[in-house]
Amino acid sequence: MERYILPEIPDYHKLEVYEQHGGYAALKKALGMKPEEVTDEVKKSNLRGRGGACFPTGLKWTFMPKQTTKPKYLCVNGDESEPGTFKDRQIFEFNPHLLIEGTAIACCAMGITTAYIYIRGEYGKWIKMLQKALDDAYVKGYVGENILGSGFSTNIYLHKGAGAYICGEESALMNSIEGQRGYPRVRPPFPAQNGVWGCPTTINNVETISNVPLIINRGWEWYSKIGSPKHPGPILVGVSGHVNKPGVYEVATGELLTDLIYRYAGGIPGDTKIKALIPGGSSTMILRGDALEGVRMDAESLKAAGSSVGTAGMIVMDENTDLIRVITRIAKFYYHESCGQCTPCREGTGWLWKILKRFETGDGQTSDIDLLMDIANNIEGNTICALGDAAAWPVQSMIRRFRDEFEKRVSKTPNGSPEPSDRNRHAEKTATVSL
Amino acid sequence: MAKITIDGNQFEADNKRTIIEAARENGITIPHFCWHPKLSVSGNCRMCLVEVEKLPKLVIACSTQVAEGMIVHTNNERVENAREAVMEFLLINHPLDCPICDEAGECKLQSYSYKYDQGYSRFQEDKVHKPKRVELGPRVIFDAERCILCSRCIRFCAEVAGVPQLQFVQRGDHTLIETFPGESLDNPYSMNVVDICPVGALTSRDFRFKSRVWEMSFTESICQGCARGCNIEIGARNNEILRLTPRQNDEVNSYWMCDHGRLDTFKFVNAETRIKAPMIRKDGALIEVGWDEAIAKVASELKSFKKAEIAAVGSAFATNEDNYVFQRFAREILGTKNVDFMRHVVEGDEDNILIRADKTPNSTGAKELGIAPGEGGMGFAEILHGIKEGKIKALYALEDDLAATPEVAEAIAKLEFFAVHASNENATTHSADVVLASSTYAEKNGTVTNFRHRVQRVRPAVTTLEQDRALDGFEMSRWDKFAAQNDTWGKGPRRDARASWKIVSSLATLMGAKFRYNSADEIFNEIAQKVEAFKGLSYLKIGKKGAQLKAKASVAA
Repeated sequence: MERYILPEIPDYHKLEVYEQHGGYAALKKALGMKPEEVTDEVKKSNLRGRGGACFPTGLKWTFMPKQTTKPKYLCVNGDESEPGTFKDRQIFEFNPHLLIEGTAIACCAMGITTAYIYIRGEYGKWIKMLQKALDDAYVKGYVGENILGSGFSTNIYLHKGAGAYICGEESALMNSIEGQRGYPRVRPPFPAQNGVWGCPTTINNVETISNVPLIINRGWEWYSKIGSPKHPGPILVGVSGHVNKPGVYEVATGELLTDLIYRYAGGIPGDTKIKALIPGGSSTMILRGDALEGVRMDAESLKAAGSSVGTAGMIVMDENTDLIRVITRIAKFYYHESCGQCTPCREGTGWLWKILKRFETGDGQTSDIDLLMDIANNIEGNTICALGDAAAWPVQSMIRRFRDEFEKRVSKTPNGSPEPSDRNRHAEKTATVSL
Repeated sequence: MAKITIDGNQFEADNKRTIIEAARENGITIPHFCWHPKLSVSGNCRMCLVEVEKLPKLVIACSTQVAEGMIVHTNNERVENAREAVMEFLLINHPLDCPICDEAGECKLQSYSYKYDQGYSRFQEDKVHKPKRVELGPRVIFDAERCILCSRCIRFCAEVAGVPQLQFVQRGDHTLIETFPGESLDNPYSMNVVDICPVGALTSRDFRFKSRVWEMSFTESICQGCARGCNIEIGARNNEILRLTPRQNDEVNSYWMCDHGRLDTFKFVNAETRIKAPMIRKDGALIEVGWDEAIAKVASELKSFKKAEIAAVGSAFATNEDNYVFQRFAREILGTKNVDFMRHVVEGDEDNILIRADKTPNSTGAKELGIAPGEGGMGFAEILHGIKEGKIKALYALEDDLAATPEVAEAIAKLEFFAVHASNENATTHSADVVLASSTYAEKNGTVTNFRHRVQRVRPAVTTLEQDRALDGFEMSRWDKFAAQNDTWGKGPRRDARASWKIVSSLATLMGAKFRYNSADEIFNEIAQKVEAFKGLSYLKIGKKGAQLKAKASVAA
């Protein structure tokens, strides 16, 4: 497939090269259109968010109030902290002007005069690169006052994160921009009514925004025919883990997972079998290696397979992988990154990790497997933001699909301390009596 | 208005209400920790998760607005399971130290554990440990392990006290509450965080370890710290007041009170300086005597002066009933027009929250009930002047430490006779000829009127020697009701003090008048008949939350 987001053009990150290849033409075009025409174009293209939830982008833009006395804001989410995800980084490095152009177009469509690109603080090199590109765009008048003489003005600011995963959650991101603690907000009100600084706000992922100039340039019909009809367009798939050629691959949505692994990423080292695969960053449900046949990289196919696209950060695990170690590490990540605001996630993530840690060292009990499932179920859906779900899903799917791995790690010598399951039974009995 | 159904019952609710508010207005309590009616919604505890039909997930009742046709379930299996899960999560890292925790007995976490917890623990891991006994400020101690991170205290400081002194630090289950660097939780309202803390994480430095709350009695009363008249609850045990806490009254103090009111307005009741019985000065020293002797002495002394030589000073610290009877006595028996009371206004010491510059609880009441000079009579400043000039020779005063002000002390020293009602030794009693041991606000029934002309009730929380506990409307603790005599309130010190109205009535009777008051409410009923502003009022009508007087006079500072 032809590459649109990351085209194979040397020095494409430089403004003059970008311009030579038709860069900022989409912005010029958009400035000549009515704002609602721009939104309509994006809506018809069926572009869906690339940040994880696959929400229709054009529809999201229509949530912004048209009549308001308040300023409106765009936040472009480049916090990219989901384990296994490193795609937005490629845009910052190889095609920053596409992102800037997309941001300006989005502002134009929604009548926004201030946009923040929230970028992961650890991305030192890429922050510099993006800032350089942004400075160049300002000089050429693609951003700032009276863009290209159109009368439309918008400012774009780079805002560095400070290392918290939770600040990639859209409402925590807004708090972070405001200088508040990175706590997700209770919704409703939704950002389109009450976002950053209490004003109408749209939050889009970096890759999502980078698709916008393509749609404006070539029209929604062209775009909607790329890849899967219900989830079209180019998509950046980050492949990591046990593959010969890990990296970010731009493909059309709907690519077979097996093609991504074997054709793009060069197969598994030593030609061993795939034991498990995480399709879209660590929070998506883990899939069995023997259930990948025919599964495609798009929302519908992955949903049918029992997972989701997420950030399209694929983690491939060969048959020698210790999945208990994997899930323990993932659980540790969510425990470490839970902001601590709401009860189920704050308390549950640590509990999950502590139990899994016991399995890792061979000290798990059979009853702990169900307990893990129960804890994950009790977190899921009951929290302020999606971090709770993100912590629960890997555990749930791992137990559902690899229960044998847990059973193998159950302690065989319950020496000394009474077996926890016995203690539970005793407690249950007592409780029944006393109640 | 929206028609909603909660647990099968149909209600009409304002569209702006959240589910938790609408439920509450209709008598349904949805369990919650972080939600507080007077604070912003934080939605973090997840205890109020309820099911709304047609919504896929459970929603938090505290932040979900009602909508037409909404059907809410607060007690079905799904909701109960979620609640049980939240309780389990809250308890896994909680120290479970109820036996040594001050909050026990009035702890939301403890109560909900009985109601909503599964009754056993599935947690086998090591608990997270956090700092304990942290001095967040001069008056509040923090135990981070007990904290459930509801953020009520943080929101209180920022939103009510207007000083954002607290914040979360760290992340996940290591999250703590801290003051900002270099800051201390020292705002004038800091101790309210102890009340709103749903667990034992924030405790009062003054009250902690003093008593288990179930051993105490709680009496509804009014704070004596200033003219706001914050509604309070007096917590007592063994005839000793151990703490004051604010009592909700949206017309007066919402859910709050200031730290000064909470800490500095009850300790005198149990202080060593209490006047234990009436006293007469003999050979330069005050000697305890019986009531008959003390009253006879005052009567005979007062009779020896001309009417114009006597001044009567009421008190903004005494009740309406005391002041009413006192001014009747002054006018009808003493026949003096020199009647007034001393003001205690500290200019500038006030704010827009609760604290008033007038540091007395009843200056409005004193004024309204006739503690004011009669025609041609002397006001307080003139009385002082009159004493200095020798025109006023005898002074009869209600409960007030007049001589704490040097200028007044100077005048009092020149009197030929000075009788004062007092509960505690002070500069004034030291220069008095007769000290009539008076009950404090916590030992009698009565009313006070706040600066907005709201009449509110004080009630006896501890007892004096003569008081009959059962007849005078005491609140009783479990100990009081069920324990052996040697365990009960009788154990604490009891003083031979009387309510001022009673003392004045005895004096009046001795001087030939018929002041036949048997109780404070009889006096109030007379006030209600005779004083226009009080028309139609009674203790019953005043109730727990007070009554607004009819004539709203201009607000007196």
